[in-house]
Amino acid sequence: MLLFQSEEWIDKWCKRNNLECGEVLTIQQVWELSKLWYHNRLSLEYHGRSAEQVAEIFRQAGLKSKFWYIQK
Amino acid sequence: MKEESMLWQIRHFVYSHFADTTRAPSVDETAARFDISAEEAGEYYKELHNRHAFFLDLETLTVRMANPFSGIPTDFKVHANGKTYFANCAWDMLGIPAALHADALIEAVCSESGEEVGIEIHDGNLRFSIDDLRVHFPLPFARWYDDLTFT
Repeated sequence: MLLFQSEEWIDKWCKRNNLECGEVLTIQQVWELSKLWYHNRLSLEYHGRSAEQVAEIFRQAGLKSKFWYIQK
Repeated sequence: MKEESMLWQIRHFVYSHFADTTRAPSVDETAARFDISAEEAGEYYKELHNRHAFFLDLETLTVRMANPFSGIPTDFKVHANGKTYFANCAWDMLGIPAALHADALIEAVCSESGEEVGIEIHDGNLRFSIDDLRVHFPLPFARWYDDLTFT
């Protein structure tokens, strides 16, 4: 996942690399996602997570498009 | 034979080592910590790689990514707790303060313009030097593990 100073620069990057653009989030959205995703990563009890748990994190972060679809 | 409890203790040790020192422990360091052979430690590393708990450099026993931490320098530099970490990507640069539960100063660059970007996290709130900052996720979640370096 790469950082861009605006959506305009993402379009340029995608065109230059001949790639379709994926999903674009604001830095605030990514911060909210990061807290949900990584808050317990240093815990001994963290053993990964199930597809259901991943889907729940995306739901809590408001990521509901097909891009975030999880095969359960 | 790999023991499940030991497996997760080793995962925890690798992550704690990253948090404490900004780098992953070598197989030898992990072997010494758990009083096992380097060969055994290597087998645990491979198993944790296979389970996506962390990721080894191709055909080595060197930890390349223990997300959000990067084992190699990147464009995403995170200063927190008096240390400087490298993150794997624009998501992980925010993942490091989230994992450490710490304030942070992040130095990054726009991947197309090369413009330097500063981000501060203080008491859980974000401040940043450029208003329209965006993160691009190139692949849908279902394909994230196809090519982690690209993702």
